[in-house]
Amino acid sequence: MIELRNVSLKYGEREILKNVSLTIKDNTIKAILGPSGVGKSTILKLMLGLIKPNSGQVIVDGTDITCMKERSLYSIRRKMGMVFQGNALFDSLTISQNLGFFLRENLKLPEAEISRKVAEQIQFAGLEGYEDQLPESLSGGMRRRVAIGRALIFKPHMILFDEPTAGLDPVSSKKILSLISSLRQNNNLGAVIVTHIIDDVFYVADSVAVLYQGEIIFDDVTEKLHEAEHPFIRSILSDKILEL
Amino acid sequence: MGGKNEKSTFTRMKTELSKASAPHLTFFMPLLFIRSMEKKLVTQLKVFFLTMQDFFLFSLRAFMAFPKMIRYWRDVLDQATICGRDSIPIVLVSAISIGALLAIEVGNLLEDFGAKTMLGRSTALSVIRELGPLLMGLMLSARFGSRNGAELGAMQISEQIDALRAFGTDPIAKLVMPRLLAALIMFLPLTALSDFAGLQSAAYMAEHYHRIDPGIFWNAVYPRLAPKDFVVGFLKAPVFAMIITLVSCFNGFSARGGTAGVGRSTIKGIVVSSGLVLIANFYVSKIVLENM
Repeated sequence: MIELRNVSLKYGEREILKNVSLTIKDNTIKAILGPSGVGKSTILKLMLGLIKPNSGQVIVDGTDITCMKERSLYSIRRKMGMVFQGNALFDSLTISQNLGFFLRENLKLPEAEISRKVAEQIQFAGLEGYEDQLPESLSGGMRRRVAIGRALIFKPHMILFDEPTAGLDPVSSKKILSLISSLRQNNNLGAVIVTHIIDDVFYVADSVAVLYQGEIIFDDVTEKLHEAEHPFIRSILSDKILEL
Repeated sequence: MGGKNEKSTFTRMKTELSKASAPHLTFFMPLLFIRSMEKKLVTQLKVFFLTMQDFFLFSLRAFMAFPKMIRYWRDVLDQATICGRDSIPIVLVSAISIGALLAIEVGNLLEDFGAKTMLGRSTALSVIRELGPLLMGLMLSARFGSRNGAELGAMQISEQIDALRAFGTDPIAKLVMPRLLAALIMFLPLTALSDFAGLQSAAYMAEHYHRIDPGIFWNAVYPRLAPKDFVVGFLKAPVFAMIITLVSCFNGFSARGGTAGVGRSTIKGIVVSSGLVLIANFYVSKIVLENM
């Protein structure tokens, strides 16, 4: 379980998050919805301890990681897999090297075991035949699937998705969303999805938090979003995609 | 950003004073200007010292990651190839041309004093103590430093460095330490190569341009070189390796603002490291020559 308790964050003079509190339970999919540049990705980075809040606490499985040192954070981070908005694949490594990178780096597994796990993820992502290609030669959807495979290879408890369908065509978006849905069913995984596309939220999320001007203005099960009366939520429900 | 705010504050106050239709108040305008400049200076100083602090901690972490060299030996080897073998052509070109030029110019000067036989001695001192290591440093600042800045900057912008951290890998141990170690190892043989190529080209020009017998030229080189001449030249190699690698990597890690940000951080890395190489060159020579 991941909890954010009264988290505030400033970049220089600009206040990104104001007293944000959120709870993400295990085996559930939570969406964080909001317009671009409002601090949604920042929330994911806070959960991983990549950035520190100015005030408040970030708690992962009962451990307060707010003031933890980088070295101590590594074990916490391995509980979570992160799929970055631009995929963040290592462009000098092949697809199978990208998938196996963190196993080789952090776990002392035999090479045969690593190869087996990599092959498993290749199959899961439907990328057979692309093992030795560089990321640049793949389509956007394929790259996203490699990034998901890389995040899954650790067998984390929770996966954090930063705009999983941004920049993808409708067919690839649908494939990625189906993949995310299947994760919970097949692997008992929880997920946090940061998005500005409301259709994605209704497609995969159990609950949704709406971030507006640095504050959470709605946090409940997805179905109740239709009942919300906040003018911003009303406007996004009618426009569907947030282009603010 | 702070500067812009200060400027707008000053402009706003100036406008308000003018609107107040009180001409005597314009007396305070220069004071306001000085005040805004003072605040701007303080902000810039603050940013400078914070950057210095970050750079110091970054460098410290790079050195503290040295015990992980066995784990990342492949990366060290890759970087040694990039920084060492791949840099040989540019080091040779610069050393050969400066050696040849030095022989021609110094030879002409010595001829006026009838001391042409001293060409070997004067060229050897210039090349081994100063020009060999300095040119190699500047060339590697442009070649190795720019590569580090651009590569790490692009990794920072595309969140690859965050990805390393997110999955439990120390990016400084993985990306900076191998570059630093490779530079520390490879800059020494490159300095030797630069010295050798510079002297050979000087000897060639001495023979073919000034008609000095090679025996006379080399006789003026070897017996007269003191250990301190080599110490000055070769001590510069690790100093330049640290400056170039750490400055370029730090700038790469600090890249912000898309592809333009990568360009800015790369340029900044080259400019700062080249400047520091020139300054360090002077101080290493001064300190060693005064104390040996």
